[in-house]
Amino acid sequence: MFYFIKILKKEFLIYSRKSSSFISPVVFFLISISLYPIGISNDPGILKNLAPGLIWITVLLSTLISFQNIFSEDYEDGSIELLLASGQNLSLIVLIKIFVNWIFSCLPIIILSVLSVFLLYFPQEGLKPLIISLLIGTPTICLFGALAGALSLGKNSITGPALMLPLSLPVLILGTQAINYSLNGINFSSNILLLTAILVFLLPIILFASVGALKLHFN
Amino acid sequence: MFKTLKNFYHKLGSYPWFYKISGKVIPFVGVFSISLIIISSIWGLFFSPTDAVQGDVYRIIYFHVPAVSVSQVIYYSMSVAAAVFLIWRMKMAGVYIKSLAPIGAAFTFIGLLSGAIWGQPTWGTWWVWDARLTSTLVLFLFYLAIIGMQSTFASRKSADTAVSIITLVGVVNLPIVKKSVDWWNTLHQPASISISGESSISSEMLIPLLLSILGAYLFVFFTGLLFMRAEISTREQNKEWFKKLSSNN
Repeated sequence: MFYFIKILKKEFLIYSRKSSSFISPVVFFLISISLYPIGISNDPGILKNLAPGLIWITVLLSTLISFQNIFSEDYEDGSIELLLASGQNLSLIVLIKIFVNWIFSCLPIIILSVLSVFLLYFPQEGLKPLIISLLIGTPTICLFGALAGALSLGKNSITGPALMLPLSLPVLILGTQAINYSLNGINFSSNILLLTAILVFLLPIILFASVGALKLHFN
Repeated sequence: MFKTLKNFYHKLGSYPWFYKISGKVIPFVGVFSISLIIISSIWGLFFSPTDAVQGDVYRIIYFHVPAVSVSQVIYYSMSVAAAVFLIWRMKMAGVYIKSLAPIGAAFTFIGLLSGAIWGQPTWGTWWVWDARLTSTLVLFLFYLAIIGMQSTFASRKSADTAVSIITLVGVVNLPIVKKSVDWWNTLHQPASISISGESSISSEMLIPLLLSILGAYLFVFFTGLLFMRAEISTREQNKEWFKKLSSNN
């Protein structure tokens, strides 16, 4: 147990010292959110309708910037190899890495998505489902990102995103639908429950698969 | 019974045995599948009755339905092979996944394309973001990811393992995708054939359709064997048994 707390502390330290890890997704998010009104229309009526989907897609795309961070540095400096050789529970270590990555790359964006109320004329009563669906949906996306990152370690190819984005489709559908439901006065709790179910169901599977993918690089 | 099955399974894992047997089977399967496809096409295109609602356009069903049904079955069979590869490390399963993925992708593409051509006169649009179309598109993307992942690993074993992992994660996710797009949007007509219940299609149309589906399955079997043989011969070209075999011919 002590070992895992140490790893957690180490991960926090690495991410907090490397400011680009949490600044780049945020910058990407802010830039794209401010581009939509310019590119599509500055009409509040149009933007209001598009806002749930735009926010969700932007969050999804901004995780593409950070998912390589989960393993790539540890791979390059060899610490993954040491973790693999340590004989500790690897899936727990991977879980810690994903969790810390989520805190630093997704949480700031979720907080900043409140800005869409001003920038995209997003109705205030939709904020609650927006934040809840993002809080529950983004960990699943980070899980897919970890798997894609573990498989495409050391390679700069399209395979990572090409694997991650189609997998994230249910989360995107259920997340945007939750917001649209609540804006139309329909109870959205079923969507949130489904998002939770997907997260809980996929968590062990993806952790297991990511560990297998990591081992591939060290035969 | 169980013993012969087990024996067969173990034999299936051996490259030389598979190479020998598949060489004998291929000509029969090839002739049978291609003639079935030709017969069902001619029957479906010229002799089956015209549909009361859709007119002659419906005849594209004889290409659309076989392609789509085959595309899904190939994916599920690949996921079984992926599990076999990860659990028992059977090399043949890796060959199976690598050979069948392009075939599955091709059939998914044919399904999407023929669906678009069918949709234009009946729905008035080439593409709708309907549940079935979307989940087929996602299936196509999974195939592409699997094919793309093949080339990113230097060692064959690592590539096979990586692809097996992706295939299994994909098969876990596919029902979730299917259900979520179902709740999202549905326009596509429900399936016309049902094994348990009454089919909603007349028997004069059904028989050529079933023949075309059977033909498509056999065609997959045929091309799958061909691709697997090609894959085995690239993997084993420096092995003794392969050299001996090719010097004999």
